[in-house]
Amino acid sequence: MSKNIIKLEVKNLCKQFGDLLVLDDISFNVNKGEFLCIVGPTGCGKTTFINSITKLYTPTSGEILLDNEIVDPNKHNIAYIFQEESTMDWLTVFQNVEFGLKVKKIPKAEREIKVNEYLEIVGLTEFKDYYPRELSASMLQRVSIARAFVTEPDLLLMDEPYGQLDIELRFKLEDELINLWERTGTTVLFITHNIEEAVYLAENIMILTNKPAKVKSRLPVNLQHPRDIADPEFVEIRNKVTELIRWW
Amino acid sequence: MNEDISIDSVQKREKSGYIIISLISLVIGIFLWWLFTEGLGTISHKIMPGPIRVFQSFFSKFYVSAPDGATLLQHLGSSLQITLLGYVIGVAIGIPLGIVMAWYPKFDLFARPVFDLLRPIPGIAWIPVMIVLFGIGLLSKGMVVFLSVFVAITINTYTGIQQTKSVHKWVSHTFGASNIYTLFHVAIPTALPMLMTGLRVALGAAWTTIIAAELLASTKGIGFMIQQSRGLFRPDIIIVGMIAIGITGSVLGWLLGLLEKRVLKGRLSKE
Amino acid sequence: MNKTFWESKWAKPISAFISIFGFLLIWHIGVNSSSLGELMPGPIDVLSRFVGSFSVNIGQYTILGHALWSLSRVAIAYSVASFAGVICGLAMGRYPKFEAAFRPYFEIIRPIPPIAWIPMAILWFGLGELTKYFLIFLAAFSNVTLNAYTGAISVDPELIGAARMLGASDNQIFRTITIPASVPHIFAGMQISLSSSWATVVAAEMVRSSEGIGWMIVSGMEINNMQQILAGIVAIGLIGYGLATFMRFLERKLLVWNERGA
Ligand SMILES: Nc1ncnc2c1ncn2[C@@H]1O[C@H](COP(=O)(O)OP(=O)(O)O)[C@@H](O)[C@H]1O
Ligand SMILES: [Mg+2]
Repeated sequence: MSKNIIKLEVKNLCKQFGDLLVLDDISFNVNKGEFLCIVGPTGCGKTTFINSITKLYTPTSGEILLDNEIVDPNKHNIAYIFQEESTMDWLTVFQNVEFGLKVKKIPKAEREIKVNEYLEIVGLTEFKDYYPRELSASMLQRVSIARAFVTEPDLLLMDEPYGQLDIELRFKLEDELINLWERTGTTVLFITHNIEEAVYLAENIMILTNKPAKVKSRLPVNLQHPRDIADPEFVEIRNKVTELIRWW
Repeated sequence: MNEDISIDSVQKREKSGYIIISLISLVIGIFLWWLFTEGLGTISHKIMPGPIRVFQSFFSKFYVSAPDGATLLQHLGSSLQITLLGYVIGVAIGIPLGIVMAWYPKFDLFARPVFDLLRPIPGIAWIPVMIVLFGIGLLSKGMVVFLSVFVAITINTYTGIQQTKSVHKWVSHTFGASNIYTLFHVAIPTALPMLMTGLRVALGAAWTTIIAAELLASTKGIGFMIQQSRGLFRPDIIIVGMIAIGITGSVLGWLLGLLEKRVLKGRLSKE
Repeated sequence: MNKTFWESKWAKPISAFISIFGFLLIWHIGVNSSSLGELMPGPIDVLSRFVGSFSVNIGQYTILGHALWSLSRVAIAYSVASFAGVICGLAMGRYPKFEAAFRPYFEIIRPIPPIAWIPMAILWFGLGELTKYFLIFLAAFSNVTLNAYTGAISVDPELIGAARMLGASDNQIFRTITIPASVPHIFAGMQISLSSSWATVVAAEMVRSSEGIGWMIVSGMEINNMQQILAGIVAIGLIGYGLATFMRFLERKLLVWNERGA
């Protein structure tokens, strides 16, 4: 695997809303195929950060390069799973998952095959003709996940995607995510404020400080998937991250 | 299980009980109407005709053109023709305008103030202006209908587009969609329910406006018919006209309802 | 801060000024440079006529007098209709049998626009005030009734269940839960009703009257005086806007009260 090619390069990123400084000089790299978790307290600027990467917010200063080019959703194959519920209520489950493929002008026959494949993976095949209001919150989240994965993005951004779900479902979807990631080799940026979740998923964890957010530290999690949360090594890393976070 | 069924049947029985009350109430009402008019003759038929007379006039008005010069269907046809003309043009201009105003903020900054200036003026107030400009006829009435429709549909479309959630726009943009793609695949679908409401409101406004215009200055149309009948002391024809106005309005609304169901399928059912 | 013009707080007022000024300018040039000017006065003429009619009578009254006539008609009939509508709507919600008896008439009358009642109303009530009151009443009544009814039946059933468990009687529940919970609905209905009342009084005065804003524009039509018509329309628009603003203001006050009261 070509794990040492730099995929995403963030250089001196700053973002201000009016006089409020939210992101303060953030710089880091992400390698191709890496699974990076970004941990930070609520309100520190995690969503702002990820929105800057996707050009939804214009950075006040700094540069974001994807494959050595200034990031541009029209050119790069990015998918973003939002913190809030984001399925479209006028589309069926199938049509929701199909949305990104349609934007990218994938031919119909191919779209159908792919959508069905990913609906199967997230276990929503039976529900493909349902509308979002007929589904539960966790199913909707799986629709968003399928919608993102089906485009086989080079860069997958996830903003506390499991924040609203109950524990059991979270575990299940975390495992699903790891499976998908291993199958597709996508680069993943996963935001959470849940330390255990970060240690469970990530190859590398990046910790942000309180607002204005700076990079506090970055540490690797060298454990095989699937991980066991009772494993002493797991617990050790979790404690280490917790310790770093205490100093917020 | 058993309990469910019994509760259900009790509710059904109550429902049918209420329908009976409604029917009785209606029968009593019609009887009293008949009693004081055709029965006892308390009220002159020049003021209020009885139900039998109204019933007869309703059917004879389909082929009798006296006293106002045309049959019911001729009047209705004339009114409907102008209504639909003004409606279609109003919708064809109002929807795009509402969309563009809501989607392009810079356009909005300049278009909205003028629109807001015209918006509180009810459509019927334009009747005199149009009659002075274009005389009595299709053009002046069509213009007045157009204005009422245009204002209603533009506002509703505008509001609908503005309800687009940022997160939906963002989903579209991060997949690399252009602004115009997002407009057609995210904003317009979001606006559809509001847009359908707008179509309905505008249709009601159009139908009201045409009748006002015909009452005021016209030589045919259902509004003209009832206005003429007043001068001729034929309240039976007035009531026939009012019934026709009500039925036509309901049928038009019902047709739009069918369209709405088709367009909004999956979004309406199971509230 | 290097904000662009579009993001600054000046963008709105400046563009509004440019846009309205541009509109008036096009209007002005349009009527002054074409044959349209024979029929259509320019904005300056209309405005001066509007201002002038505050001191010069049109018919029997100044423009203010006409506006007050129209407004007083609305005030009287609208108040009565709102009151009756609230009672009727709540009663329909409270007593299903009353609803069953009343609803057929309601459903028959509702699809007929109030304006279509004008000839019948004149026949019944003559050319005086009563006709106008009747028409405005029709314009306001059904919306208020329908909204009050919707408010009364859409009260959270759990709330009612809880109150019943605590031993509240149906009457108590109705007075302390249903009525307060219906207030926002009622208010929404009253807002719609006020603007349709305003349109209806204008229409009624246009068809038959000797005073009021509707009369003013229709008499302008009869003497081919476009300035008078447009001055009247300016007044109609301003009052319509004023009434809507006033209702929004009341709603804000009232909803605060409702939240506190709940
Ligand atoms: N569009 C915006 N305008 C102004 N302030 C914002 C905006 N978005 C976020 N903020 C502010 O930025 C800070 C960080 O927000 P956010 O990035 O959502 O935090 P997180 O996702 O880490 O919880 C908050 O204080 C928030 O108030
Ligand atoms: Mg966030």
